[in-house]
Amino acid sequence: MLLYIVAYDIPSNRRRKKISDLLEGYGRRVQYSVFELMLSPAKYAELRRRLRRYVQMEEDSVRFYPVSKHTLDQVEIWGGVPLTQPPGSIIV
Amino acid sequence: MSTLYVAQQGCYVKLQQEQLLIKHNDAICQRVQLPLVDQILVFGHCQLTTQALRACLQRQVSVLYLSRMGQCYGRLLPMIQGYRQLARYQQDLSEVQRLRVAKILVKAKLWNSRVLLQRQGRTRPTPGIAQAVGQLAILIRQVNEARDNAALMGIEGAGAAAYFTALGDCFVQPGFTFTERNRRPPRDPVNAMLSFGYQVLWNHLYSLIEAQNLDPYEACLHQGSRKHAALVSDLLEPFRAPLVDSLVLYLVNRKVMDPEADFEPQKGGCYLNDSGRRKYLQAFVVRMETEITSSSTLPRPRWDLLMAQVQEYKRFVYEPQTLFKPYLIR
Repeated sequence: MLLYIVAYDIPSNRRRKKISDLLEGYGRRVQYSVFELMLSPAKYAELRRRLRRYVQMEEDSVRFYPVSKHTLDQVEIWGGVPLTQPPGSIIV
Repeated sequence: MSTLYVAQQGCYVKLQQEQLLIKHNDAICQRVQLPLVDQILVFGHCQLTTQALRACLQRQVSVLYLSRMGQCYGRLLPMIQGYRQLARYQQDLSEVQRLRVAKILVKAKLWNSRVLLQRQGRTRPTPGIAQAVGQLAILIRQVNEARDNAALMGIEGAGAAAYFTALGDCFVQPGFTFTERNRRPPRDPVNAMLSFGYQVLWNHLYSLIEAQNLDPYEACLHQGSRKHAALVSDLLEPFRAPLVDSLVLYLVNRKVMDPEADFEPQKGGCYLNDSGRRKYLQAFVVRMETEITSSSTLPRPRWDLLMAQVQEYKRFVYEPQTLFKPYLIR
């Protein structure tokens, strides 16, 4: 499992909504257009496949940054929500 | 395995894009990211909208409906999971091969029960524990001589009787006396927790078996009825003591459970109530997600032990002339 930072810049309201809805299913919004996702390789591939349908390369920009285990320890957070943790089971 | 347990009574689950919203009395009590969930266990009176169920089916998330006591009424499965690729190989297993696996499973169960008692005996030795440990060692040797399943079940029964008698010595909190294993209905708090724990683990194991395309109805040890998913009961045997019994011991002896507040009498038995169920599930999830290290492997959550056992059975079904390796605690 790896931590990914996904950042986007999307002018169309409609496409931005679709893409942010999808990202909210896989990770957590940490800034207006930045998400942190803790995903297995299979889930990461699934997310990219599903996102690809909405992104228009001419106008939009979506960037994926994997954070290696080595640099994960060096992540600093000033303000906002804490670093995203791996998903686990949930009891309601 | 990431599981969503909906255990609070009166919950209402609806779909919002990629998330499930869980509401209680019109207040949102939890948001769940559907792509990160593998299965959903719904206990008692909780509603899921059709939209939410459809989204689960599209994502291969199975939904299990259980009673508040943990008994499964049924499962909602995507169409694609109905196909059991390995059923033919399982049906082709000979009686000799089946009996060999059945023996291995009974032996593993007795072994793991014995190790649990030995560990308990190290901190709090009693004559009862010492006697049961000796008796289990004798029974483990007798397994090899069993001629058929009936003889094997006899040895298993004798082992369970010896084991549960001694297990009573291990519960040290007042209000949690345990003299014998009873069920349908369980008659005291410890039996209530054991019953609930076995049911929940059974259902998880069922999901794993099905996910590997094995037929849960083709078994080796429990072969009585074709209406019972006997393979699940077979593969559960070695895990009862290390995963459920030891968790119940922890919950009682560390005073997590309250003998009054966490149980309720019902239908002539004793059952976990809302708060007891949540406490059990919380401790169960923590334990199953805790990473453990054995000498040969990298740290992995206890869930992987179950998964590895199902995969081992699958491997055995492909190559029945080889030996099935059961889960043994060291």
